[in-house]
Amino acid sequence: MSPGQKWTVLPALALALVMFAVPVALIFREALFDPAFTLTHFERFFGRPVFQSVFRNTLMVATIVATACLLIGYPMALFIVTRPPRWRPLLLFLVLVPLWMSILVRTYAWMVVLGREGMLNHALLTLGLIETPLQMLYTSGAVYVAMVQILLPIMVITCYSAMTEIDMGLVRAARVMGAGPVRAFRHVFLPLSLEGALTGWAVIFILSLGFFIVPALVGGRRDALIGNMIVNQVAQTNWGFAAAMAIVLLAATIILLALLRLLASKFLHSPRQEST
Amino acid sequence: MRLSSILFALGVLLLFFPILIVVPMSFSADRFLGFPPRSWGLTWYRAYFGDPVWMAATFRSLRIALFASLIATIAGTLGIVGLGRIGPRWRAGLTGLFIAPAIVPNVIIALGVFILALSFGATDSIVTLTFAHAALALPFVVMIVGAAYRQVDSNLERAARVCGAGPVRAFLTATLPPILPAVVAAAIFAFFISFDELVVALFLMGGAETLPVRIWNDLRFEINPTIAAISTFFVFVTTAAMALAELLRMRTIRKLRDI
Repeated sequence: MSPGQKWTVLPALALALVMFAVPVALIFREALFDPAFTLTHFERFFGRPVFQSVFRNTLMVATIVATACLLIGYPMALFIVTRPPRWRPLLLFLVLVPLWMSILVRTYAWMVVLGREGMLNHALLTLGLIETPLQMLYTSGAVYVAMVQILLPIMVITCYSAMTEIDMGLVRAARVMGAGPVRAFRHVFLPLSLEGALTGWAVIFILSLGFFIVPALVGGRRDALIGNMIVNQVAQTNWGFAAAMAIVLLAATIILLALLRLLASKFLHSPRQEST
Repeated sequence: MRLSSILFALGVLLLFFPILIVVPMSFSADRFLGFPPRSWGLTWYRAYFGDPVWMAATFRSLRIALFASLIATIAGTLGIVGLGRIGPRWRAGLTGLFIAPAIVPNVIIALGVFILALSFGATDSIVTLTFAHAALALPFVVMIVGAAYRQVDSNLERAARVCGAGPVRAFLTATLPPILPAVVAAAIFAFFISFDELVVALFLMGGAETLPVRIWNDLRFEINPTIAAISTFFVFVTTAAMALAELLRMRTIRKLRDI
């Protein structure tokens, strides 16, 4: 192949450098130099209880949302993968469609449903189940429900694509050897699909870390995530502090990715290689 | 088996819940939000299509998305071709760089682009926003076109070159046609990445609102039924376009696998 065509990477390289790599580098400069080297922004972030609790809350929300998505999404992917092949594209399509809806729109729908005069309160009042409207909008519960609904398709798709890679002959072999369906699932299918499930969990966790639309619109004052803090600080023109928080967020993302890789290489690859 | 079907249906219901709420609401003629609506009409569609502010935001977003998609698709497709021609080390590094904007939270990229734009006085600029959106869409173009390109037999292009075609002609006549559906699919994906993007636009654009920024500013103060009409309109547009993109993507992969 002609070596002359290497240059074709240049437009993409320029785009990624100018609009991604340089901006991220500038965040580090903004957070660490003012104009001399300083750690004041980070001291402020980790020194004030307000910001600590936002940071803790972000990690907690991401953990709960990722786990809830895994518990709902894994069985859904399992359901699709165990259907006859001609049904699968349709079922997958059903899961994909909501993903194409803007996050703003999906959050808006939850506002309509959960509001004080919203649909759910209206229904409960009409049925006589409650006397006065419940406060559902602007609560942590609303944030969890909306985030799980928004991120669930990604979990289903990640688990599904991992499951399609599994050699079903292994499961059949376990059945032939006398294992019941539950035992064949637990000892053969589950371990093989674990890496996909773990990847899905990590992807949802990372995406949750950066969320700010949902908590801003359906959460209460105490439900702010680190993304909300960054947006608020930018609005108040505290760019250095916003940059420091962005670095904390970036570090959390990278640490999680590294942990996942370590975990996957340590616990998942070796038994899989032995078994195949 | 029965129980699992019911549970799966419940999961799908959860996923479709917002659509099932928003679509009927958009056709309500009530003055207040209620469900189900008591009277039906196109009030909120008229409110959307008749309002110059909403229309300006919509056309601004469409224009930005169109150019961002063009830039990302061309840069990404050329990038994939170039990646095939360089050493494995560089290839891994560059692929990582191209994919990274999809992993790093958008808030971070938005803040960085904003700081960059500030130092060049390039805030409030549609051009800056368009290129930033192109960078956000680049990972998806690289992934979609890359998957198709890997399936193409590189002998095809080599044969074209041997037969006397220049590099450009060999690319256009031998390499591009089989991956074209994937390129179109990537362009559609890229378009909607930009069209839906809120946070970069929020930081970068002071005065001129894009559609997501307009919706965001509106939602923070009241729950406006006009947004139900806008949402419904774009849910249908997006679903049709994305279904087409998905179909094209899967067909290319399948066809190329058969060759």
